[in-house]
Amino acid sequence: MLRHLFRLIWNRKRSNLLLLSEILLSFVVLFVVGSILINYGRNYFRAPGFVHANVWRLNLSAPPDQDGMPRPVLDEVLRQVRALPGVQALSLGSGNTPFRFISSGGSFDRGGREVRFASYHDADDDYLRTLGLHLREGRWFRASDDAAVRRPAVISQLMRTKLFGPQETAVGQTIRSKDANWEAGQATPTEYQVVGVVDDVRESGDLSSNEPGIWLRLVPHDTTHWQGAAVLVKVAPGQHVALQQRIVRTVAGTTRLWNTQVRTLADDRLDKLRATLGPLAALALVGLFLVLNVALGLFGVLWYNISQRRAEIGLRRALGATGAGIGRQFLLEVMLLTALGVAAGLLLAVQFPLLGVLDVEPAVYGWGMAGAAAFILLLAAACAWQPSRLAARVQPAVALRED
Amino acid sequence: MLLSYLKFAWKVLLRRPFFTAISLFGVSFTLMVLLVVLSMLDDAGGNHAPELRADRLLYVTGVMQRWKGGGWSNSPVSLDFYRRYVRTLRTPEMVALTSQTNSMTGFADGHSLTLDVAYTDGNFWRVHDFTFLAGRPFSNAEADEGAHVCVLNAHSARAFFGTTAGVTGREIELGALHYRVAGVVPDVPTVHLFSSADVWVPYRLNAESFGKSALFGPYTAIILARRSADVPAIRAEYQHAIRIIPLPEPQHTLGIYSFADPALASLVRSVFGHNQDADADDGLATFWLLLGVAGLLFMLLPALNLMNLNVTRILERSGEIGVRKAFGASGRALVGQFVVENLVLAAVGGLLGLGLAAGALALINDSHLFAYANFGLDWRAFFWALGLAVVFGLLSGVYPAWKMSRLPPVEALRHTGGGPQ
Repeated sequence: MLRHLFRLIWNRKRSNLLLLSEILLSFVVLFVVGSILINYGRNYFRAPGFVHANVWRLNLSAPPDQDGMPRPVLDEVLRQVRALPGVQALSLGSGNTPFRFISSGGSFDRGGREVRFASYHDADDDYLRTLGLHLREGRWFRASDDAAVRRPAVISQLMRTKLFGPQETAVGQTIRSKDANWEAGQATPTEYQVVGVVDDVRESGDLSSNEPGIWLRLVPHDTTHWQGAAVLVKVAPGQHVALQQRIVRTVAGTTRLWNTQVRTLADDRLDKLRATLGPLAALALVGLFLVLNVALGLFGVLWYNISQRRAEIGLRRALGATGAGIGRQFLLEVMLLTALGVAAGLLLAVQFPLLGVLDVEPAVYGWGMAGAAAFILLLAAACAWQPSRLAARVQPAVALRED
Repeated sequence: MLLSYLKFAWKVLLRRPFFTAISLFGVSFTLMVLLVVLSMLDDAGGNHAPELRADRLLYVTGVMQRWKGGGWSNSPVSLDFYRRYVRTLRTPEMVALTSQTNSMTGFADGHSLTLDVAYTDGNFWRVHDFTFLAGRPFSNAEADEGAHVCVLNAHSARAFFGTTAGVTGREIELGALHYRVAGVVPDVPTVHLFSSADVWVPYRLNAESFGKSALFGPYTAIILARRSADVPAIRAEYQHAIRIIPLPEPQHTLGIYSFADPALASLVRSVFGHNQDADADDGLATFWLLLGVAGLLFMLLPALNLMNLNVTRILERSGEIGVRKAFGASGRALVGQFVVENLVLAAVGGLLGLGLAAGALALINDSHLFAYANFGLDWRAFFWALGLAVVFGLLSGVYPAWKMSRLPPVEALRHTGGGPQ
């Protein structure tokens, strides 16, 4: 049976080659689009690792002249904002607050293990409480860290698994930054002491993947070269514009040189989501259109082919084949052809994880391949269904008389 | 001859509505996607308000300093840099100044607004063609002395006052300062990187104007050429001016690079990283080549699909082919006829695609994916659609036509008719 089907396909190799290349191409398109969508879909259901509700960000920026942001002025501003009724907690840190289009990163290593890119933050002692991070091991920064020899660091769980074995204790160990660029002027790698481990934080938005993260304790006195400060403000539920305005006026009351921006993290989250979803929706739509196009084309071609082969069908019916048998033969023929196309497409698709083309986990590629293969086979079956039924209904007497 | 081909093509299209519909769906959606991409690119670099003279506009978006130990710093330029090296150019008609936008929080009865604020000089309003809905721009004198005046876009005028009419002379509170509204202009899509903002205020009020760095600051310089033919001369003159800048910290600095580019070219240059070498081109040629290849690849799947349908349907036409061949039609004439038929199909698909693209762009505008987006199609899009349809028609039509023309006449005449019942 199978050999017979192969021979049938081989006999029409010219036109089947066109069909085959079309199936192959659509498989690759589906695989790429599917892998990307699956990746984002998986990310959406991961825990964010922090709480953004009722947290605002307050960005201060100063002109880049000699003074920058003197710590006494900054401290005075923060003290006054903290004292406002409705403000529950407040944390000064680096500008890459959650959901922003800003990222900083660096490489870190310890005892031969290395993390190529870890999202890197400055954070003060109140950061954990303000942003609702969840501590797994050790502790967060505290005032007594002022006396520490090495700068204290808290790492995320993912970073811990990359730098430490499961049996090793991370807390108390020393790690160092490999990349001296982000701390300008330092030739030797800086060392940090791990004091705690937190749950993974996905700060780049609902659709972003887990990235290793590290928080370094804000050194108390190095703000003079700053041109901007990012402050996270945890407010009581139900606070709105009145408090925002009061914060802006409080800053202006201390210094008129600085620009201020107050925005809720909820707004930032929507911005980020919209910026990520836009291209994704376009990709999905284009993919959908291509698939629909292929499906219609496939249907047309199969329908037409089968109508052209009425003589062959008539002959087989006259020799005793059942209608169901004929329908099954045509369906199988199409499925076989599709499987050949998918097999060729799989050869191509395997190159993607090998070359690391898309930035997704290996498992996602697997799901992408399986999904695309299943989808194409189902699609081909659906397109071949009606034409095969047509073939099964051919009356031998009518079909043979025509030719 | 051609006319009869066209008539014939029309009849063939109408003969099997189902197959025609499948084919048209493929052609029109493919062209729709391509047209949407093209019109977005055109919006970023073409003559659209307020850049009605885009072919004469050049931008200095930044300056790059390369360090001897490896690494580089890249930033928009400082006021000082602008005054020394851009304002001194001799070929341009006029130069103007605008900053990157800063987000600031403003307040208007009961709600807070996050607004993008740009600091500009008076020339900014003369190199662009804004239609003022109310009031007037601020002048160079006002910008130089730091008058507390501003120009609002329609969106922020409505956010502050609920209307765009009669707001000139009123005051707004933005950050720590109060500004008097001088004028109101229509919203500028954020895709126009250098002319879009919610509020424009005099550069003198920008604390960052007077920083200590000689090169780096917050500004983009806009250069207006006298005529578009002057653009290469201005780019050359600017390169000459950059080359003789004395290197700051010469013991650490390898070189300083900066370019005056048209809008799209400056974008492409920064994407391709062609801004670290004085001799590098702007990469626009490579960009269009890549875009062309990507477009062809994208058309390949629908074209294969149509090709498949066409090849399959040869037999339907076998009677006609046999008769024409028997009466002496050459293979070339037949190829010509079938290609024309396919081109007619593609052209109809192209027109449909144009309509679909207009709808898609309207949807994108409404979705607020790009703030204040105002994408649209113009007469050039029509020619683009036609051109793309021809490419698509040839891509999908030549092979089936060649195959049809090779059908032996005897064989062809033997089965007449055929096709699905």
